Amino acid sequence: MSATPAQSTSLVIRHAVSEEAEAQLFWRMRFRMIRTIVSQLYSSARLRTTLIVALSLLFWSGLFVLFYHAFYFVEHQIGGAGDPYHAQTFKLVFHLFFASLNVMLVFSSGIILYGTLFRSPETKLLLSMPVRDERTTLHKFQEALAYSCWGFFLLASPMMLAYGVVVGAPWYYYAMLLPMIVAFVYIPCSIGAVCCLLLVSKFPKFKLAIVASVAVAAVLLAGRAIWTTVSGPQMDLFGSEWFQQTIHRFRFTQQEWLPSSWLSSGLLEAGRTIDSPTETTGFDLPVVQSSMYLAVLIMNALMGHMLVVKAGKAWLRDAYSAVECAPRQRRRIRLAAIDQLLSASLSWFPKPVRLLLVKDWRLLRRDPVQWSQFLIFFGLLGLYFLNLDRFRSQGSDLSNITWVNMVSFLNLAVVGLILSTFTTRFIFPMISLEGQRFWVLGLLPLPRETILWSKFVFAALGSWLPCALLILASDLMLQIDFLVVAVHQFTCLLLCVGLASIAVGLGAIMPNFRESSPSKIAAGFGGTLNLVLSALYIILIVVCTALPCHFYLIAGRGKFTETFLHPEQWRHWLLYGTIAALVVGFIATVLPLALGLRAFRRMELE
Amino acid sequence: MAAIVEIKAVGRDYGSTRAVDDLNLDLRSGELFALLGHNGAGKTTTIKMLVGLLKPQTGTITVDGYDIVESTREAVSLLGYVPDQPYLYDKLSGREFLDFIAGMYGYDSAQAKTLVEREVERFGLGPFVDDLCESYSHGMKQRTVFAAAMLHNPRVLVVDEPMVGLDPQSIRLVKDLLRQEVANGLCVFMSTHTLAAAEEIADRIGVMRKSRLLFTGTVSELRQLHPASDQSLEALYLHLMNSPPEDDSLQATA
Repeated sequence: MSATPAQSTSLVIRHAVSEEAEAQLFWRMRFRMIRTIVSQLYSSARLRTTLIVALSLLFWSGLFVLFYHAFYFVEHQIGGAGDPYHAQTFKLVFHLFFASLNVMLVFSSGIILYGTLFRSPETKLLLSMPVRDERTTLHKFQEALAYSCWGFFLLASPMMLAYGVVVGAPWYYYAMLLPMIVAFVYIPCSIGAVCCLLLVSKFPKFKLAIVASVAVAAVLLAGRAIWTTVSGPQMDLFGSEWFQQTIHRFRFTQQEWLPSSWLSSGLLEAGRTIDSPTETTGFDLPVVQSSMYLAVLIMNALMGHMLVVKAGKAWLRDAYSAVECAPRQRRRIRLAAIDQLLSASLSWFPKPVRLLLVKDWRLLRRDPVQWSQFLIFFGLLGLYFLNLDRFRSQGSDLSNITWVNMVSFLNLAVVGLILSTFTTRFIFPMISLEGQRFWVLGLLPLPRETILWSKFVFAALGSWLPCALLILASDLMLQIDFLVVAVHQFTCLLLCVGLASIAVGLGAIMPNFRESSPSKIAAGFGGTLNLVLSALYIILIVVCTALPCHFYLIAGRGKFTETFLHPEQWRHWLLYGTIAALVVGFIATVLPLALGLRAFRRMELE
Repeated sequence: MAAIVEIKAVGRDYGSTRAVDDLNLDLRSGELFALLGHNGAGKTTTIKMLVGLLKPQTGTITVDGYDIVESTREAVSLLGYVPDQPYLYDKLSGREFLDFIAGMYGYDSAQAKTLVEREVERFGLGPFVDDLCESYSHGMKQRTVFAAAMLHNPRVLVVDEPMVGLDPQSIRLVKDLLRQEVANGLCVFMSTHTLAAAEEIADRIGVMRKSRLLFTGTVSELRQLHPASDQSLEALYLHLMNSPPEDDSLQATA
């Protein structure tokens, strides 16, 4: 059979795509997608975009101020001019910070690349087209790089700028920041990517065990180093000997072969000013030294790039086959004791509500993506709270009581704010997700309202227990007054019930049945509004309860407090604050739920 | 006529499970081959190996003489692939997606524009081709993916469950298109559960069961193998699938 003209044309043109043209095609596609996303954000998600940008700026500014004051303190308060502590402290901070991020970037880029390369339907499309394997790998690697390093940029940029301002760094310090960051980030990320491809293609059966072992070893080593640093008697902390020991203990972060050392040394050199330039040989000028470190970083980044390309070319298809053909383990589900226990403890609820609660609990329990985030955030908070006892040994003067009270209420607010992100991410999308399987629940002989009520009970009960325990841990470690403990627990209850109601109510008022991804539902207008309203609610409740309680406790302790802060007056304010919190909590609980119930009753599901 | 696709002694495991076992199959230009089988029989694995997504553990697959493992780009550039779950870039329009695909096959912008217009016309994408793909229904996505697969005039079209999610009009469109392209010399390899469609448009069928190819041939040949049963493909297929594994009388390649 002779080929048709169209076929002949196509045969002539095939394989004519050069590597450069292929790269241009991918960049053009990416540019088009970014342009679409930006225009969509501008036209339909201004509130969310403004909020994200504003909060990021706030976070960045907060970090900048923090680093600025810390560096200023080191520069001006520790030792005198020319004291080696300055240089040693800055060196320790930079090396330790960047070495830690070095390790984290290796892991995060490897794990993210695994997800974007082997679990993405885009890879399937690209592998079934005549795209070079190395281009597919590089395309997904760049995605992983962007995901891994935005956090690094957000943390490192205020630190570097603050250092430059404090030490009065010359202009080339600022000019080198961006190329140094980009070149540095590229190195650990490319190592992570190559390790990921190597493990998946050559050791598919042991990849998880190897990654877990290395991660556990790294965490244990870091934990040991931190523990030995801070576990000594408090009186010895921050002394001269402790400082020297700490430098000695973390000397491994200053190894010359570490990319983090090249970055740290490059930055420190670029920020260095010399007193008498005439006495230099030229080679030891800061600009020359820092440029050399920058050159080392860039060359190694290019080497990393080349390794990723080679690894992609050699291993991508093997690795993809290995992942696709990995044996699927059947998960045999038995009735867990914890489910039975939960069912028994909820026996005072009507049976339909109890069944829905147990069903939601099982879905949560069997989805590690959801509960692992709870565990990580609340676990970190728990660790922080359990280390709060440093405060209580500082004495019992007014300033200390003020600090302890303030910290305890700030902890309460932080728990509330983290809870609000969880209710936005996990509770708000529940109704939208339920809508997609509404043919199951909608056909059951139970009122629609029951579904909404069960979500509310699930969210309120599920969040109350961990939050109450966390706040209790914080209060016990701070050894605060019993009155404050009671106020905290009362506030916590109001927060959990109110936040659950806002998330469930708004989720029913503004459902999104077209989207199947809970994160995308949460990122929409409804989710953003939920987050903003939740934050406002937390601030209102905490202010209503914290301020009167705080002033009541310090009233009468200082000299001027007898006229301005009489305990009797503040007892009344304590009562008014509690009533105000109750009213706000009642409105925040009843109003969204009532509106949500009405919207849910009227809802027409496709 | 020489085979354009040659599958020789191909095998692939999923862990300890044999997904495809000793598969031998030749496909010719101007032929529509429909692969039938229960879920888990090995149809999709076969397709994934044919389009280069999975490497065969044993055996070889060649497309127009190019080995799919050794010369993947050359082999893949002769194929068009329509997967069961169509993937499009959400933040691109259908036209931008087709433009990207055309670029990947080496067409310059003028050629790409002509080809995209041809496919827009052929698959009726006009009303939505400039909308973002995230707003497409399953049927719209499927038609766009078909257009992308046909854009570069492939020699072999590999289609996994082409009728799923399409409305009757689109199904008719796809069937007519496939027959028309086969008449023009295209080789179509189609996996399907829609027996009526296979009976209507396939030149040959293959039946897989538990990783092995039980039968290849025309529907008439299958009927001749089992004259006693009901003459519908559905009845023949079910009879074949439910026969004991050791019953070799039905396991034949016509």
